[in-house]
Amino acid sequence: MIACMSDLMIEIEHLHKTYRSGFTMKPKLALKDVSFNVEAGKVYGFIGPNGAGKSTTIKVLTGLLNFDSGKVLVNGISPRDVKSRQYIGYSPEQPYFYDYLSGRELLRFYGKLVGLKGAELESRIGWALELLHANKDWIDRRLRSYSKGMMQRVGIAQAILGKPKLLILDEPMSGLDPMGRRDVREAIQQLNRDGVTIFYSSHLLSDVESISHRVAMIVDGKIVREGTVDDITESCGVEYHIRTREAILGADLPRGVSATGHPQEYICADDVARDRLLGFCLSNGIAVEKMDHKRPSLEDILTEEIARADA
Amino acid sequence: MQTLKHIGIIALNTFRESIRDKILYNIGFLAIALTLFSIVLGEWSVFDRAYVIKSTTLSVMSLSGLLISIFVGISLVQKEIQRRTVLTLLSKPISRAAFIVGKYFGLLAVVAVHLVLLTGIYYAILWITNSSPTVSLLTAIYLIFCEMAVVIAVALLFSSFSSTVLSALFTLGVYFAGHLSDQLMEQVKFASRMGELRGASSVILEKAAVVIHAVFPGLYRFNVTNYVVHGVALPDMYVFWNSVYALGYIGVFLAIASWWFSRRDFL
Repeated sequence: MIACMSDLMIEIEHLHKTYRSGFTMKPKLALKDVSFNVEAGKVYGFIGPNGAGKSTTIKVLTGLLNFDSGKVLVNGISPRDVKSRQYIGYSPEQPYFYDYLSGRELLRFYGKLVGLKGAELESRIGWALELLHANKDWIDRRLRSYSKGMMQRVGIAQAILGKPKLLILDEPMSGLDPMGRRDVREAIQQLNRDGVTIFYSSHLLSDVESISHRVAMIVDGKIVREGTVDDITESCGVEYHIRTREAILGADLPRGVSATGHPQEYICADDVARDRLLGFCLSNGIAVEKMDHKRPSLEDILTEEIARADA
Repeated sequence: MQTLKHIGIIALNTFRESIRDKILYNIGFLAIALTLFSIVLGEWSVFDRAYVIKSTTLSVMSLSGLLISIFVGISLVQKEIQRRTVLTLLSKPISRAAFIVGKYFGLLAVVAVHLVLLTGIYYAILWITNSSPTVSLLTAIYLIFCEMAVVIAVALLFSSFSSTVLSALFTLGVYFAGHLSDQLMEQVKFASRMGELRGASSVILEKAAVVIHAVFPGLYRFNVTNYVVHGVALPDMYVFWNSVYALGYIGVFLAIASWWFSRRDFL
């Protein structure tokens, strides 16, 4: 494998992509001025609602889609150049394969395409199957009998066979049961520890939060948030939940503080509201029993961004 | 070197895929049945038995090869796109041209195996019926193979940018144009000599005949059944130049198919 040419594994600047469909070839802008970078050695989550442009971006990176304008580089090479794919392993969303082959035969086929042969090919297949907990009887059955979860594991196994520098996974956890999700999550983390950069899209935001170094959120073809999970959630402010020993009358509540269903619990929208409520309690001799701060989750922020885009 | 390896791997997989296709078996069984039926036709016919067996079997080879080339050929690329297997395949470090050429050679190998199988049956029938098998029959079969090699390239060209149904129609169109272009040219020349073509429409007709003759592959060149069944030996240079002719068209069609395919988006 050729040495990494850049500290940035993915560079995307001002990417625009238009689809043309129907008899009139009506254009639809799928990606609007998309820009972000993925550093080598990181796990990068790509989230957004259905139809937001996640798969389109991934297919541009893998050279499956052309783009209108902008700059896209994978390890310093344009995805239009076949050489860029020497560094990439890719598993599409809901992977489909030649169903007349068994899982092992399919892996041999893809392994040969990335230049493996003989004992090295067999040992690499064994390694990939071990990593994904797929080294079971069913791997020698025809693919047409596979469940969605089995197919997903084979899809990821074929993507990692060539020991890629960049692993691109489109919804790798869709169709998996909790055990399968855990296996894939662990496999991603193990590969990342071995130095593989992971770029993946997912709807399962709790998984994204737990394993990604950075996240980009795409809504309606535009990147609306980008950064570490902490950066993104903290940029939306922190909410405080305060419980007092005595109830406070609604009319007395300071600005920015709202009551909850519980008579002694209050939500402060920000730091200022929290300070106001604490000052009020101090001056009125009301004891504070408990104070928690709560950041919005990625799901809260994504829901808010979708609503904003719809509006 | 790497590209050649990729072409070989894709060709082998295409061959495996095609020999599992039910259409192939239907066409194959029909071809074998018709080949065997040529013995009965030979008995019934008022013509020489050997002549009937030879001409019928060569026609069966040509027709069944055509059906395989079109119906298996056009579905090869379309199936990859519709089943989305193309996404994983083209994300590997292989060029789209290698994909097209690999598909081409995979199907070419299927047609070759089909023709070899029919040739074996054909020669067995000729031997059983004492119908004097000749080497020139092999030349005719080789030229059928060359013709099919061109037709597969045409089918792949169309399937690289259009739907299965349209690809089938376009390929059939090229096949018939390729077989009739010589006759059309002759007819137009004859009519012109006889003074039957006058006015602007005649100029358009003449030009159209010239264009069709020049652009479409002259598939009539590969049909030598009438010569070989009558024992006429074909000059070696005829076979050589027609092989070169076929290679030229195949190269051009595959180059256009690869170019077009490399511009495609895969959703």
